[in-house]
Amino acid sequence: MQRAKYIAINAFLAFHILAIASWCIPIDSPLVPLCRNLVRPYFLGAGLFQSWDMFAPIPKAANTYIEAIVVYQDGSRKTWTFPRMEQLGLTEKYFKERYRKFAENLQRDENDALLRDAARYIARLNSNPAKPAKTVILIQKWSFIVPRKDASYVPEPWEQHMLLGYGVRPEDLQ
Amino acid sequence: MRLQSAFKAWNEFFFAEQSPTPIALFRVLYGVLVIATLLLLRPDWLTWYGIPAWVSLPTALKLEPGARLNLFSIIPQSDAWIEAVFWLSLGSAILLTIGFMTRFNSVLVFICLTSIQQRNLYITHGGDTFLRLAGFFLIFAPAGAALSVDRLIRIRWGKERADIQPRSPWAQRMIQLQLALLYFATFLLKLKGAPWLQGTALFYVYHLDELRRFPLPSWLFHPTVLKLGSWSALVLEFSLGVLIWVKEFRYILLALGLLFHLWLEYSLNIPLFQWDILSAYVLFVDSDDLRRAGNWIGRSMDVHFLNR
Repeated sequence: MQRAKYIAINAFLAFHILAIASWCIPIDSPLVPLCRNLVRPYFLGAGLFQSWDMFAPIPKAANTYIEAIVVYQDGSRKTWTFPRMEQLGLTEKYFKERYRKFAENLQRDENDALLRDAARYIARLNSNPAKPAKTVILIQKWSFIVPRKDASYVPEPWEQHMLLGYGVRPEDLQ
Repeated sequence: MRLQSAFKAWNEFFFAEQSPTPIALFRVLYGVLVIATLLLLRPDWLTWYGIPAWVSLPTALKLEPGARLNLFSIIPQSDAWIEAVFWLSLGSAILLTIGFMTRFNSVLVFICLTSIQQRNLYITHGGDTFLRLAGFFLIFAPAGAALSVDRLIRIRWGKERADIQPRSPWAQRMIQLQLALLYFATFLLKLKGAPWLQGTALFYVYHLDELRRFPLPSWLFHPTVLKLGSWSALVLEFSLGVLIWVKEFRYILLALGLLFHLWLEYSLNIPLFQWDILSAYVLFVDSDDLRRAGNWIGRSMDVHFLNR
């Protein structure tokens, strides 16, 4: 029994060390994608997936935020902005940091499917029965961080890009 | 190295019995960090995970398909049930911290934490990921063999001796390996980025307004300082991933790592990330040194908890 337990633990250790290493170490080898594909169902299912790309390989080179223009049924409009950490106090930004992370993820192309949910949430947040939202327009704003030769920094002008125009349906406001 | 030597080294590393005090202390720190994470999220439990959340459950399941450990996809869809999962997480994290029904609560905390992250992966950072992974291996560790209510109960019932018995550290080693891999992987990824090699990476990091916490001194932005800073980060991450296993370097690297993370905690607003990572440093401290530190604290505070 003890021997069976010892063998099982060793198999567990060897498997997990190899699997975790192949999952997160970025080396160019044809074996790595093969291993990743093999362990993917287990890792995703059990919650062992991971990535350690803190400011890597290239740190983000722009300050960004997302703004929403809410257009109401009566034709009026309002601008709503995700909580911006640089405008919050120390305690508040500690509690609200998840908004920064979420806004960052909203701007990634692979997360386009999140935009409609976000637009619906903003519509609900900014509507009431007397004044329902008709359209939500999500706009990405960015200002590049450009180092000068003497390493000084002057903020670049803000640029913008429309992420989504969403027609609000009555059921979205329920 | 001969094969027999390799087997011997493997056995020594994973199975040579040692005091469970480091893993027990890690359990306490881990539990406190899970509690802190949940409490920081408390005002927004339903905002991020409720029925009308920023990311709906159907969207989350569509974006992250497949069978996943996620309580939110099996409980009845109501805000009351969702809040119940969070209260359950908080309760089990408190019990895990004090070491009551330790094994059961370590399983429960891992399931809850993984579910919370799986439900909305778009607001999690590396510290959350590390807590999830460490939580998985903590399940298998003798985390209640010291510093726990479980142990006090066992002693009271005469099932355990008053002195702490050594245990096999293989699960603790996996958490240590996970931490080392974290540093090594991020080091390798940074090597693929020109700004890190050129030494300009920190210029961008320090100018991200959304991440800034406290004011930084102007000399920090001098090109030479930025280069030294960027390259030092690379060297330290490599060292904490690889050289940490060399006993002679360990404490100096832990001290440098501590300073590194404290600096990041000062300069960047990524709540709890640094503490999530630092919590596992205790696993690299020799149990005798921990005992000596415990005795010193005990003498200073007239508390002898580490020796119970």
